[in-house]
Amino acid sequence: MQISLTVNGERHRVDVEPRRTLADALREDLGLTGTHLGCEHGVCGACTIVVDGRPVRACLMFAVQADGASIATVEGLAADDGTLHPLQEAFSRCHGLQCGACTPGMLMTALHLLDTEPAPSRDRIRAEMAGNICRCTGYVGIVDAVESAAARQRELAPEA
Amino acid sequence: MTTTSPAPEPTASGTAVRRKEDARLLTGRGRYVSDLTLPRMRHVAFVRSPLAHAHITSVDVSEALETDGVSAVFTGDHPALASVSLRAQSGLPGYVETDQPPLARGKVRFAGEAVAAVVADDRYHAEDGAEGVDVEYEPLSPQVCAWASPEEITDPVHDEAPDNVLLSRTFRAGDVEAALAEAAVVVDREVTTNRHGGNPIECRAGVARYEIADRKLTFWSGTQVPYIVRTQLAGLLDLPEGNIRVIAPDVGGGFGVKAVLYPEDVALCLMAMAMPGVALKWVEDRVEHLLSATHAREHRYVLRAGFAADGELLAVKADAWCNAGAYSVYPWTAGIEPLMAGGLLTGPYKLAHYECTVRGVTTNTSPSGPYRGVARPSTVFAMEALMDSGARALEMDPIALRRRNLILPADIPYTMPSRLVDDSGAYEACLDQALETFGLEGWRAEQQRRRAGGGKPLGIGIGIYNELTGLGRAASAGPRMAFRTGHDACTVRINPDGAVTVFSGVTSQGQGLETTMAQVVADALGVTYDAVEVRIGDTDESLWGFGAFSSRQAVIGGGAAHLAGEHVRGKALALAAALKEAPVEDLDLRGGEVYMAGQAKSIISLAEVARVAYLQSDRLPEGFEPGLEGTKFYDPIRGAFAAGVQLGALEFDPATGEIGILSWVCVEDAGRIVHPVIVDGQIAGSIAQGIGGAMYEHLVYDEAGNLTTGTLLDYLMPTSGEIPELTIGHVSTPAANPTGVRGVGEGGTLAPNAVVAGAVADALGVEVDDLPVTPASVWTLLQGVTP
Repeated sequence: MQISLTVNGERHRVDVEPRRTLADALREDLGLTGTHLGCEHGVCGACTIVVDGRPVRACLMFAVQADGASIATVEGLAADDGTLHPLQEAFSRCHGLQCGACTPGMLMTALHLLDTEPAPSRDRIRAEMAGNICRCTGYVGIVDAVESAAARQRELAPEA
Repeated sequence: MTTTSPAPEPTASGTAVRRKEDARLLTGRGRYVSDLTLPRMRHVAFVRSPLAHAHITSVDVSEALETDGVSAVFTGDHPALASVSLRAQSGLPGYVETDQPPLARGKVRFAGEAVAAVVADDRYHAEDGAEGVDVEYEPLSPQVCAWASPEEITDPVHDEAPDNVLLSRTFRAGDVEAALAEAAVVVDREVTTNRHGGNPIECRAGVARYEIADRKLTFWSGTQVPYIVRTQLAGLLDLPEGNIRVIAPDVGGGFGVKAVLYPEDVALCLMAMAMPGVALKWVEDRVEHLLSATHAREHRYVLRAGFAADGELLAVKADAWCNAGAYSVYPWTAGIEPLMAGGLLTGPYKLAHYECTVRGVTTNTSPSGPYRGVARPSTVFAMEALMDSGARALEMDPIALRRRNLILPADIPYTMPSRLVDDSGAYEACLDQALETFGLEGWRAEQQRRRAGGGKPLGIGIGIYNELTGLGRAASAGPRMAFRTGHDACTVRINPDGAVTVFSGVTSQGQGLETTMAQVVADALGVTYDAVEVRIGDTDESLWGFGAFSSRQAVIGGGAAHLAGEHVRGKALALAAALKEAPVEDLDLRGGEVYMAGQAKSIISLAEVARVAYLQSDRLPEGFEPGLEGTKFYDPIRGAFAAGVQLGALEFDPATGEIGILSWVCVEDAGRIVHPVIVDGQIAGSIAQGIGGAMYEHLVYDEAGNLTTGTLLDYLMPTSGEIPELTIGHVSTPAANPTGVRGVGEGGTLAPNAVVAGAVADALGVEVDDLPVTPASVWTLLQGVTP
């Protein structure tokens, strides 16, 4: 089936089997391998992306369901000139990543959190990020990073 | 007139420099095997046994071959695979060697064992084909328990071991019976620990391509041990070792699970050799991972300890059974867990009289292999259970009893009853700092307040442990195998532009080794951190490294990096001295510039020295060869023990059994610290895995050998909702190696079993013998103690 998607602002037309997952379409048809697969049954959160403003498990969605959708993936986070997004910057500074396998999903979940709640508490961050499994960090650095990025974003947009 | 030298550049080591890995991993530009695409690549799906133990009576692949997109189907009897077996070898007396076929031949020994492999245009079509493979089985009696009595064994897993025991060894020191007879108190415990596994977020993955014209195989693999893989593959595939290139690019977590050469890996390479020029890719899914990647930690310990009236630990007698699963894990053998268990059971405690018999028992379950902390999360739990029982019997404070028996600085080097030599002695220092940070008095007061005035019961748990890290040739990991894992190599190359490329034998699955090696080389050589690029994980680039296991790489790979950096620094300074006609002993290399003692201005840059070395041989002084690089090996001979203490305060809901972690403190001796944030990240991550094993993660087989926890809905890994804030502290006693570091990768996993179980016991006045500790098990214990 022919579908069209807008991914990180760029329009793509792809021909997919109806059973093809959105994650496979992104990774293999569009070459956007930043979205990782950790369990392929919707638990680990590694494949989390933002579809039409909402966080989604790309392994649980068929590509055809995303026809016409606007999708944000980790590849779209940094600015065009390579400047890291405040979340990426904070993950690096706070050691919120080690192997990097869960990281794209963590970043996209955190992106949605900060888009909807500019000043979440640590407990709130822990609760909201609890749909994503990290096997390396023990979560301390991730919670630190999201908290720190939220503060940075508030500085950048003081009117918010 | 002389001026003082400029202030030295801030050294890279000891500072939290930005990780070299982060830029690509944060932007979705990582290079994982799972991401790799090659022209005309095909995909593999394995057909796995639904039965735990059965003869294979027939395999019909005709329907699979008719499936759209399928190009080949392989079975265990295929000529490309039929003669190859993985045989984990050890010179240990009495060890029973057994074969593991790349794809099952004749019989299956665990549910999930690969029986056939389907090659297709993509993974979807490969799975379609797998559904079309028709395997007929004749069931045999399965055995899932490693401590079953011999009469319960109807059909041995391997004919070579009728009692299913692949290995047994007794550790002995002193006279246990005599010491027990003299003890003021003797305590008995019987404990079991729960089977769980590493579960990295990136599952196992491999791409293999064979070029028949020059007989060269390239294997991209998410492995922790590319050089071991190359050596073992050369033997298994009958190829010269130099014709095999193993590449481990970015790897999405390992934790020991990827330190194994798997039958699927070998099958993939053999199939690639049968299909020359076609790249074959296998990426497992999580269900396959839970079924067939190595498990760990299913142990039983029957323990007896004797204490003197003053608390001195006089004797420990132990019997241990470790469930080795269906195959002796390759190449480590079924000895990996039992031998570690027997060797390190006594942990940080002085002991003269010790007798411990350990067994590796094969069963119809997924093979057990290395998992972060190998066996010691279980042995620390067992040993600390003995200490708590001893304290209760003696009516002594449990921490005072432990303190009475710790190996102290004055005892170093201390020869443990297993004859391992402990060089740490920092246990008491860690304990003191941990107790102060934790605020023991405050928590005891809160415990009393709750006992008197109501509130959820609160318990305090403790685990004191030693992590044996950076094992050299005298204490090398693994049971008398064909290789000794004591050394690694590192090459430091100054490029013609003066920048530095490091070819290190270490591998990284998230530990940030590119960063750590760059820091070590920058300081040893005298250049900035930013001037150093590190290449790892490709056997065609770096000379040698055994890889990531036994918390060895910072010690051994870091030692090699330091020595290589120093060596090349000497070469660069010698050339600079000759070029500038200056005495070499007056020269110093800092920040990529060569300085003369007492002068503020550089006399020549490293870039210019390098330019001469490579491009301007007419300027090369007499006796100098072109080029500027050097390679060094390092072997610490013994190893570095790393001390650690963890304390936790936990509360328990009497109505539901729910467990709340109120405080968790860890103090470790990581020696000299290269990157403080990476070190704390290793500790925090390993504590989280330890808490997972203590409270959540449990791979459960039913009696028929079916894994009943086959998805992440049943196999629970802790999230940010479960792992508490962790307080991490350090005692830094430099180890006797070039960088002074002690390994830090595994220690955190060792204590949580003991801390959680100890806290339950402390809160409720019961003994916890079986893990994991869950709300259900706490609730059950509470029913026994509340009216």
